[in-house]
Amino acid sequence: MGRTRRRSRRRTLDARRARTAYLMLLPAIAFFVLFTYLPIGNLLTTSAHSGPRADEFTGLGNYTRAFTDPAVRHAFGITVLFAVATTVGALVLGLALALLLNRPLRGRVVFRALLLVPYLTSVAIVGLLWRNILDPELGVLNRLLAALDLPTQQWLITHPLATIIGVMLWQHTGYAMVLFLAGLQGIPEVYHEAATVDGAGPARRFRHVTLPLLAPTTLFVSIISVITGLQAFGQAYIITDGGPAAATDLYVFHVFNVAFEARDFGYSSALSFLLVVVILAFTVVQLRYGRRGEVRY
Amino acid sequence: MTRIGRVLAYVTLLAASAVTVLPLLYMVSLSLQTEAESLAGEPVLVPETPMWGNFVELFERAPFANFIVNSLVVTCGITLSHLLFDPLVGYVFAKFRFPFRDTLFVAVIATMAIPFFVKMIPLYVMMSNLGWLDTYQGLITPFLMDAFGIFLMRQFIQPIPDELIDAARVDGCSELGIYWRVVLPQVKPALAVLGVFTFVFQWNEFLWPLVATSTEGMRTIPVGLTLFSQEYFTIWNLTAAGAVLLFLPTALIFLASQRFFVRGITLTGMK
Repeated sequence: MGRTRRRSRRRTLDARRARTAYLMLLPAIAFFVLFTYLPIGNLLTTSAHSGPRADEFTGLGNYTRAFTDPAVRHAFGITVLFAVATTVGALVLGLALALLLNRPLRGRVVFRALLLVPYLTSVAIVGLLWRNILDPELGVLNRLLAALDLPTQQWLITHPLATIIGVMLWQHTGYAMVLFLAGLQGIPEVYHEAATVDGAGPARRFRHVTLPLLAPTTLFVSIISVITGLQAFGQAYIITDGGPAAATDLYVFHVFNVAFEARDFGYSSALSFLLVVVILAFTVVQLRYGRRGEVRY
Repeated sequence: MTRIGRVLAYVTLLAASAVTVLPLLYMVSLSLQTEAESLAGEPVLVPETPMWGNFVELFERAPFANFIVNSLVVTCGITLSHLLFDPLVGYVFAKFRFPFRDTLFVAVIATMAIPFFVKMIPLYVMMSNLGWLDTYQGLITPFLMDAFGIFLMRQFIQPIPDELIDAARVDGCSELGIYWRVVLPQVKPALAVLGVFTFVFQWNEFLWPLVATSTEGMRTIPVGLTLFSQEYFTIWNLTAAGAVLLFLPTALIFLASQRFFVRGITLTGMK
């Protein structure tokens, strides 16, 4: 008798606490429904329509159009190249700098800060600054080269994609470096000591101790970097305007123009959705292959 | 470490730091140059007479005061909202038991996989229907909360002993009172990380303010500055002055709290 009463009291208490929980969650539920799930539903609906008001139903028409659109294929190709190149670059440079900073050097914190500074800047600053530096006629780099009697450059015209890859690396390498540094500091010293005792030199210790133990960090940095690279927009919008001759027509920049210049919301919605699918596919593949490289000692 | 190794390490780090910092120093220099100095001849790093007037002229040529106010309102609004809601939601997921809790948590966390630009077009249409384009609410509401912030706060709140929370409850503290007086004080360092990180990223945000504003008076600094430079293509000393203004708050925050910022980056690696 007493026990059932206690149990029912407990039940009402649980119910009251559940109600409190729901009340406190209400703003969050409303937010994620209204600003994430509803927009994605709308995106899918819009992507099945065409016309200036996106009100003519075309089914999968926009998607089939995307697969045969040479401009989209070109934009997609250079964007994958951009994402892969910036990822490989950030992995190599970030790890190299982290290895240097992981040594007992004076001023490590200062160097870490200086190397991270570009990551704090807005893409607006990055874009305007590098457009100025690299400008063939008025840019400071060519004025400097001319003053030193060295040949001048026209990289924004001769190697536009490689140039914005470099600018992207300038901004994002510090982020990879900080993550690698944290990863390196998480490797217990005993593994290196044990390998040294077993007669492994620095190169073999790096190959067989450091790299395998860093695998989770490497995996994470490469996933984030690919995702960031596939979504790059400001570099094309600010520095190159997608040119010359669409050489830097990055995918999101292309979609932006289809939506807000051509005002084709149906087609641009389909293009947006396709990139999400690609991003998820990249992530799944990286997770699958990356996990293989992980070890536990 | 050998002597040569040490020297090589320093030389490499110095060279790499020069690559990251010199362009930004040049930007500061450029902001203080005369138009002639900024355009031709041998480049100057230290202008003969610093042109502080560039900063005045910038405000005369473009509504820069508006840009600054807009950036402050939007960034502070979003940061405060994150600081208010992310820990609250994280607390509920960490410390309450209720039906569908795990389903709801997964539904929140899953939004991390959705990049912002995917929502760009539908949000634009939605804001346009609401009449919220070119308004503060249009700039702020899409960023009111953040799944990663919620996840992070849940991780930090979970280790708080339940006894502490129950004791406050027995003492007659209200549920919001418990959150405010018991839970939040325990996670102050995590809040600092969340605040610093959110501020810096929202301050720099480019795509959404570009899409969601159309009149000059509503632009934030990154967008206003970019469009200004497109209009006055070669007035680089003034563009640089605007870039310095845009960079100043993040640089100061970074100087004051490098530790929090670096911690924030390594926490993103926890995902």
